[in-house]
Amino acid sequence: MSIVDLTSMGEPQSQLKKEINDRLTKLKNEISDYCFQCAKCTSGCEAHKLLELEPHKMAALLKRGLIDEMVNSDIIWTCMKNLAVASGKQIPGKYTAFLQSILSIGGIQDIQEITTRDNKTKRRSDLGLPNASKPKDLTKFQACLMKIAVEKV
Amino acid sequence: MEKKYALFTGCMMSTEQYAYEMSIRESLPILDVELIDVEGFSCCGEPMKSVNQLMALYLSARNIAIAEKNNLDILAPCAMCHLSLSECKHILGNNTEMKDRINGMLADEDLNYKGSIEILHTVDLLHDHIGLETIKKHVKKPLTGLKFATHYGCHLIRPSEIGRPVDSENPTKMEEILKVLGAETENYYPEKLDCCGGILQINLPESALTKTGQKLKAVQEYGFNGLVDVCPWCHRMYDARQVKAGETVATKLEVPVFYWDLI
Repeated sequence: MSIVDLTSMGEPQSQLKKEINDRLTKLKNEISDYCFQCAKCTSGCEAHKLLELEPHKMAALLKRGLIDEMVNSDIIWTCMKNLAVASGKQIPGKYTAFLQSILSIGGIQDIQEITTRDNKTKRRSDLGLPNASKPKDLTKFQACLMKIAVEKV
Repeated sequence: MEKKYALFTGCMMSTEQYAYEMSIRESLPILDVELIDVEGFSCCGEPMKSVNQLMALYLSARNIAIAEKNNLDILAPCAMCHLSLSECKHILGNNTEMKDRINGMLADEDLNYKGSIEILHTVDLLHDHIGLETIKKHVKKPLTGLKFATHYGCHLIRPSEIGRPVDSENPTKMEEILKVLGAETENYYPEKLDCCGGILQINLPESALTKTGQKLKAVQEYGFNGLVDVCPWCHRMYDARQVKAGETVATKLEVPVFYWDLI
């Protein structure tokens, strides 16, 4: 249990932390020779403009082996995923809901009703659009995804 | 019709961003493009990439395999779906082991991924495949006197290593088409490549709206008549959330936002 778990009264999630640490340690060995801290990633980072996050610090922390400090900071968790830094990651809770939705209907959300500028409610079918494409055999689709959900890359 | 494509609508366009889908279905047949609705498509996999890369790859490969089974190239008008499918093609094209692993999983649904088809977005379809001359011939009402700002969106321009439809630092294809349609535009304005904030909506919604508001405020101040975008995620931020975004930057925003094909 780390100091962060104690102050936040959070669950230790030691298995998850071990996995993150293993991955970051592997990444440390991969990138440390290549990044020379030009900070070009930070200068192009949208989250930097907005939140003063500095992605080049990720590489700096990794190079020094300060993995716990990086995991416990905001740097790797507040990525806008605009791909300016290819290594950005984020795991907010909403992704679980996405997965559940993909499993049950094939997409991240079901058909919505929309409101037009003149305040009328319209459904997809009202607009003359054909049915949205969905997996033909949901059972097979779900079985496959469930298998992958427990596998590791 | 000269060319047929499987229309991959993705989750966002087919469940709420109907204006984009309607405009595509109206405009592309005029330019001799036939859109085929293929059964069986699912999520492109992009929303799962941060959590489970294998699942993201599987979902993309599955959709490509369905289009291959129908002998059709894919038109993916959503920038996020286009990136996911293109990235999958890039990864599996360079990793035979992973391709075999994915094909093993796809066999359960009688599918096989080959990587033989093209993945197009509306920008490269209109600019590179249909061409400016053909578009010019079909213009009925030139957009004379209107000046539009463009928004490409992060997923359409990066990462250039895997091949994106437009240049990552100075994209100009949308501007070229807008000029052919008779509108005025500018190849550069300082906020042109700024993110819409859409993905940040998941964990930092207020910051996401600030990002949206900052760009719309700039577009309004520069005197553009509207903003043209090509991604349902970006459009959701700029259009549906414009009033809230204006509140975060303390500005009344009145920027008309158009989907590419509505123009």
